[in-house]
Amino acid sequence: MLAEIINPYYLQVLSFILINIILGVSIYITLSTGQLSLGHAGFMSIGAYTSAILTLNYDFPLVVGVILGALLAGIVGILIGIPTLRLQGVYLAIATLGFGEVVRVLFINWESLTQGAIGISSIPHFGRELVTGLRDTGFTADMIGIRNNQLISLLVFIILLVITVLLITFFVRQNHSRVGRAFAAIKMDENAAEAMGINITYYKVLAFAQGAMVAGFAGALYAHVTAYISPSDFAYHRAVEILIFAVFGGSEVIWGPIFGATFLTAMPELLREVSEYRYMIYGIILVAMMAFRPQGLIDHEMIYKIKSRKKKKKKVEDDKKERNRHGVGS
Amino acid sequence: MRKSYKGLLSIFAIMALLLASACSGGNETSGDQSGDAAKDGAVSAKVGVISWLTGAGAGYGEAITNGLKLANKEIKEQGKVDIELITEDSAGKQEQALSSAQKLMNSENVSAIIGPTLSTEMKVVGPEADLNGVPIMGTSTTAAGIPQIGDYVFRDSIPESLAIPASIEKAIEKYDVKKVAILYGNDDVFTKSGYDTMKKVAEDKGLEILTTETFQKGQADYNAQLTKIKNTQPDLILCSALYNEGAVIMDQARKMGIDVPFVGGNGFNSPEVIKIAGDAADGLIVATPWFAGKDDQKVQDFVAKYKEEYGKEPDQFAAQAYDGMYLLANAIEKAGSDDRDAIRDALAETEGFEGILGEMSFDEEGDIVMEPTVLTIKEGKFQLFE
Amino acid sequence: MILEQLINGLTLGSIYAIVALGYTLVFGVLGIINMAHGEIFMFGAFMGVVITHTLQLPLALAFVVAIAVTALLGLFLELLALRPLRGKKGVSHLAPLISTIGVSIFLENLAHHFFGAGNRPFNTSFSEISVQIGSVTIYAVQLVIFAIAVLLMVGLSFWLSKTKAGKALRACAENLEAASLLGVNTKKMIMMTVVIASAMGGIAGILVGMAFNSVTPQMGLTMGLKGLAIIILGGMGSVRGAMAGGLILGLSETMIVVFGESGYRDAIAFIAIIVILLVRPQGLFGQAAPEARR
Repeated sequence: MLAEIINPYYLQVLSFILINIILGVSIYITLSTGQLSLGHAGFMSIGAYTSAILTLNYDFPLVVGVILGALLAGIVGILIGIPTLRLQGVYLAIATLGFGEVVRVLFINWESLTQGAIGISSIPHFGRELVTGLRDTGFTADMIGIRNNQLISLLVFIILLVITVLLITFFVRQNHSRVGRAFAAIKMDENAAEAMGINITYYKVLAFAQGAMVAGFAGALYAHVTAYISPSDFAYHRAVEILIFAVFGGSEVIWGPIFGATFLTAMPELLREVSEYRYMIYGIILVAMMAFRPQGLIDHEMIYKIKSRKKKKKKVEDDKKERNRHGVGS
Repeated sequence: MRKSYKGLLSIFAIMALLLASACSGGNETSGDQSGDAAKDGAVSAKVGVISWLTGAGAGYGEAITNGLKLANKEIKEQGKVDIELITEDSAGKQEQALSSAQKLMNSENVSAIIGPTLSTEMKVVGPEADLNGVPIMGTSTTAAGIPQIGDYVFRDSIPESLAIPASIEKAIEKYDVKKVAILYGNDDVFTKSGYDTMKKVAEDKGLEILTTETFQKGQADYNAQLTKIKNTQPDLILCSALYNEGAVIMDQARKMGIDVPFVGGNGFNSPEVIKIAGDAADGLIVATPWFAGKDDQKVQDFVAKYKEEYGKEPDQFAAQAYDGMYLLANAIEKAGSDDRDAIRDALAETEGFEGILGEMSFDEEGDIVMEPTVLTIKEGKFQLFE
Repeated sequence: MILEQLINGLTLGSIYAIVALGYTLVFGVLGIINMAHGEIFMFGAFMGVVITHTLQLPLALAFVVAIAVTALLGLFLELLALRPLRGKKGVSHLAPLISTIGVSIFLENLAHHFFGAGNRPFNTSFSEISVQIGSVTIYAVQLVIFAIAVLLMVGLSFWLSKTKAGKALRACAENLEAASLLGVNTKKMIMMTVVIASAMGGIAGILVGMAFNSVTPQMGLTMGLKGLAIIILGGMGSVRGAMAGGLILGLSETMIVVFGESGYRDAIAFIAIIVILLVRPQGLFGQAAPEARR
């Protein structure tokens, strides 16, 4: 029964969608204080390389590797963030673009550690490691009636899903907290926010570092899902792709980049013929969105409408109930 | 109200755009079902193909799938095996190659896979296929470490570690080489892998390496590196570059007055070099599994048929795919069923197979064993290097 | 050998400078970083290939066609990607940057479709002419490139400071609304700026084709990012800065090869971006721009 439902192909695509959602969230956090980073591919590669090298060469457990990868990306985010955050708008974007390229060139040339352009292969794979671990405890795929590779894909998907849901929950909650309101105030008007007593340097660095950390986290996950990374996976085009998730889906609410990442990752799989024109479409999307809907497809207004419609429905239903009760009473 | 209309409109506009571009795309991913129907007694099997069919490297994928289709047509006519090819596009990306492989292995239940096109893709797809027990054969993956991924991973494309030593040895013999300079692209997996081999061979042969220079993708100006190389006065230049950059490097080198021969890797081996560099391409030495000018009936038949079918000269990618298809068909015939393990075992036992590339066998790791041909460009043509 | 390398560096630097002039002009007037400039330059180079190689027509015509095509691309860029954003309420200052990134990846992939991924030969007999001075060979192409770079710089400076149109342009750069009130047709001036800048990209494209015989769709990105680094180094909107920055980058890229670290060649430009932005955001020749810092 289960064996027929689980198809590793669909799970694979869904796993990549989840990783891209995390990347979309990472650029969203940075954007939520009005800062544009073109260096997220660089942070992603720091996370990926750190985790790959630690688990492969130094036998760190996978979980520790991923966490350290994300942390290092976050720390680099702080180090880069503090000096560059004096820059505004386009200057910050250009500086982070430069940062991303420097990281890539460094990984190409640091051959003793990264094997240069050849890349790192046979990185421990999430699913495969877990299945071997489970086997030691006596649990095998046969016990629930599925094949080994089905179990592997399923485990990868479940892990990623749990991680993604947790991340989104965290940032949704953060948005409704003091931090989230500070971010929003800075995005609206930096000077006004400062006048209101918000420590804008602190919050900007916080947002930048959070974004960097989440990107590094996504990179580490990517490394352990594909089991192979090379510097060319994290070039300028990757940074633009991440940016498009937010520009297309929307950068006002967290659901925007989530939708953008889901739609744009699923599209070439559903319509294979599109993939040939993928980047041309990306280009047109960027220009068209800026001209017609700079806030992205999903914005505050849309979320508000959906919410209020739900509320309205609920209210109507409540009213009905109320009336019925009255009717019965009279 | 007006604003929300505008929003909806823009959503529709983008959707329409996506759909429009979706429809205009060519339908290249359909399975190949041409040819005769299965004859009685033929072993039938489904074989998946992962190839780079769209984007920058679509040319490679086209040559490969053409080679496969041509071979499969002939195999069907012979009537011993009946193979259905199911082709998926990888667009040269690891993620898409992996998704394609999952689709082929799990949705289509193929018995074996041919492809993917790039070594980087194989490094991601190979372990997954090996884990699922699906034999997979690369026909264009030349980087080091591919067959070592697992027992189910094979390739019929000669690795750089076989091609480069052959060409360097012959060049040393002919030109009495003592000192060499090396120039390579350090941000590309193929050229870097080629450089590693070149360096090792040069050290093994006791050559003096005068200088090692690098270049990067998208670079147009190689004058700085070449000026430096020129001043060290090497007997030979070892240049690990793809033909695109390689041809330009030779052009700039010749203009500068560097007239020593070049030894290139597998990626340098293309008729395009002559097209781009013209006379400047003279003096390039490469080792290749494929030589269209070979005095062999099989080779000439293939060239003629390929030209008739596709209106183009076959290149090494088409030739390697053609032989790869035959190798796999042979294994399926020997296995006598479409069982994945039986096909793997039969493939591993392949020995002394006579293809258009020459006599081929697989070693214990699943790597190809064969004698490469060393060619040089002379008077604007690839010729045997002797 | 050092002399030869200096010539190599100057040639490369001159081309960088011409690319950067296009950037700096657009930034100076509009305050926009045109990320599509590199791809427009690449189209210029491809026009050279089409004219001299595919159609076997003379080189002079290649210049004309390249200028025309890139000017047209500039016009489209202004009409489709920049003008719709101008003066619109609620559009962030990042919008033009993102929009031009969109144009750049669109054009890069369009070139892939039209011209293929391969390198294109650019054979003109002109690029063979050379003079031998001692052990050093100097090519006519190298002299021409240097001359064109200097000419463009001087011409642009003169045009900006002395002619009426140039003065109007500088007025636009100072304050768009005020210029409009004073009777300057700002729409026309902006369009002219983008078109002229793009045409300069086209000229640079042909020169690269002549000098290096190497034209690929990817060259736009590489050259575009270098050009970006140069205007940040030289100072945004500064004509002299673009020239000086170009030569500095060209020479230092050549010199890093001479000193044996060719693997880091591409990193110079980006390290320069970061260092300059942190230490002296207005660039070497730029006037202190208050908006560069917070």
